[in-house]
Amino acid sequence: MAFDIVKYAENSDAVAWQDLDFDEFLTNPLSETTLRSIRNLCDVEDHTVCYLRDMLTTPSHKEPEVGTFMTMWNREEFWHGEALATVLGKHGISVDFDELKATRLKLGWKDRLDPIKQSVMSNLVGNDFVAVHMAWGAANEWSANAAYHRLAAMEDHPTLSPLLKRIAQQETKHVAFYASQARERLAKSRKARVLGRWVLQNFWGPVGSTISSEEEVTHVMGHLFAGAEGRKIVRDIDSHIAKLPGMQGLTIVETALEKRGVAGS
Amino acid sequence: MSTSDDVAQRAGDTTGSPAPSAVHAGSGISGSGLTLGELERSRLGELESTEAAAVFDVREFARTARGSHRAELDLAGLEGARLEPDAARLLGVLRDLERSTMQRMRNLLVTATHKDARVTAFLSTWAFEKFWLADALDAVLDTTASQPPVEDGPKRRDRRERAARRGPVRRAVLANFAGADIVGVHVTSGLVDEWITQAAYRRLAAAAEKLGSIAQLALDVKERHLAFLQEDARRRLADSTRVQKLARTELTQQAWPIGSIERPDAERGFFERMVFGGAAGRREAGGIRELIAALPGLAAVAPVVEARLAR
Repeated sequence: MAFDIVKYAENSDAVAWQDLDFDEFLTNPLSETTLRSIRNLCDVEDHTVCYLRDMLTTPSHKEPEVGTFMTMWNREEFWHGEALATVLGKHGISVDFDELKATRLKLGWKDRLDPIKQSVMSNLVGNDFVAVHMAWGAANEWSANAAYHRLAAMEDHPTLSPLLKRIAQQETKHVAFYASQARERLAKSRKARVLGRWVLQNFWGPVGSTISSEEEVTHVMGHLFAGAEGRKIVRDIDSHIAKLPGMQGLTIVETALEKRGVAGS
Repeated sequence: MSTSDDVAQRAGDTTGSPAPSAVHAGSGISGSGLTLGELERSRLGELESTEAAAVFDVREFARTARGSHRAELDLAGLEGARLEPDAARLLGVLRDLERSTMQRMRNLLVTATHKDARVTAFLSTWAFEKFWLADALDAVLDTTASQPPVEDGPKRRDRRERAARRGPVRRAVLANFAGADIVGVHVTSGLVDEWITQAAYRRLAAAAEKLGSIAQLALDVKERHLAFLQEDARRRLADSTRVQKLARTELTQQAWPIGSIERPDAERGFFERMVFGGAAGRREAGGIRELIAALPGLAAVAPVVEARLAR
C-alpha cells in the first residue's frame, strides 16, 4: 500500500506525555537495568540528525515526498528523545544539550569522515544508493518499534508503558514509509538489490551501535531480546526485512544477537 | 504530572528568559513606518539591555512549533482574487526558498554544526516551521489560481559564488579545517538570510495588499528564527576573531538568499530587482548593511553584501 505522505505530514506532532503522571516514577521508579536501556534508546533518538545527515548526502531529499518525510520524522524523533530524557530526569539522570554535544564530539574522525564516505558512495552508485538507505532505515525502524513494544510489555508501568506505546505508534509510521520506499526502489533495480543485500549483510548493526559502546548495545539487546520470547520478536523483525525485494533469507538481527552472545532460550 | 518545567529543568537554558515575542515585539509590516533596519536596530538595543537574562529557549521553541496554517488562513477571502504576475512570482520564489530546507540542512549537517545539539534542536523545528510556511504560500497560490510557471533557464555563473556551489564532499572536507568555528559561520549566514527574506516579505505585502496577512504570518513565524540566530551569531562572533574571519569570507561568497545558487539566473535577477530595486528596495538593502556592520567584526563586508543584493 502506498504511503500517504500528505496525511502523515498533517498528523505529525510531538509525542504527547503531559497527560501522563510522571510523578509516578518517584514512588514507582524504574530499575537500573531498565534505565540503562532507556538511556541507550534516548541516545539513539537524539542522534537522529546524524542519520538524517547521511540520508541527505543521497539525491533522495530533492524528491518532495522524501523531503517532507525527513522533515517530520526528524522532528518526531527529536521529541522521542525529549520524552525519554524526561523519564531519565525523574530518576536524577540528566541528558542536556552539552552532554549530547560531548557524545557527538567523541565520535571523532569516523564521524567526520562519514558524510564524505557517504557522499562518495552516493555519487558512485547514484540513485540505487537511496534504495539501500531506505532498506537500512526500515531495518532500524522495525528494530526500534519492536524494542519499544517489548519494553512496554516487560515493564507494565502505568506511566512508562503508555509513553513507549505512543512512541512505538509513531515508529510504525516511520516503518511504513521506509519499507514502502525500499520495496519500490529495490524492485526497480537489480543493482540496488545486490548492493542492498551486501551492505545489510556486511555492515548493518543494531540501532545505536554507531554511537554507543559495544557494552551498552549488548546490554540493550540482552535486556530486551534474551530468551524465547525475545528471540521470537527478533525473528519477526528479520522476516519483515527478508520480505523486501532481494533480501530473502537475511537474518541480520538474529545474527547480531548471537554475535553478542544473547541466549535464545 | 510532567510539566514543561521538567523539560525546562533538563534544558538548563531557560532561567528567566522572556518569551521571544516580548523581546522582539513589533516586526509588523504596517503601522510603525520604520524600515527593517531601523526596527532591527531598536530591537538589538532591547536585546542588549536584557542580554544577561535573555537566553533563547530552544525547547520552548520546539514545544510550541507552529504547524499547518491552513485553518487560520483566510483562503475563502482570497478566492478568485488573481494576483499580479510579479506578486505571484515573488510568492512562488519565497515558497521555493522556504521549501529548500533539506538542501540547507545537508550543507549544515555534513560539517561540525551537526555536533551542536542545541543548534540541531533548533534546526529540526526551524525546518518543520518552514515546511508549513511553504505550504501556506502554496495554498495562497492555488486559491488565487496564480501558480507561476516553473522557472527554468541557465544558472548564474559568478566566480565569487564558487564556494556556495560546493557539493557535500568538498563542503565536509573543507569544513573539517574550520572545526567547531563553522557553527558560528552558519548561524551568521542564517541570520543575514533571515534579514533578506524578511525584506522580501515586506515587499510582497507592499506589492499586493491582499497578501498582507500571509506576509505578516511569515514574519511572525520567522520572529523566533531570527531571535535564535541573532543571539547565537552575536555571541559566537563576539567570542572569536577566527569565527569573524570565516564569517567575513562566507558572507562575501554566499549566493543570497541562501538556496538561490540552485535557481535560474533570471529568477535571481527578478528577486533582486523586486525586493532591492527602487528607492524603497535600496533603503532595505542599506538597512541590512547597517545590521551586518553592527555584528562583531563584520563591518568591512557589510557594503559588499549590500552591493550584491541591489545589483
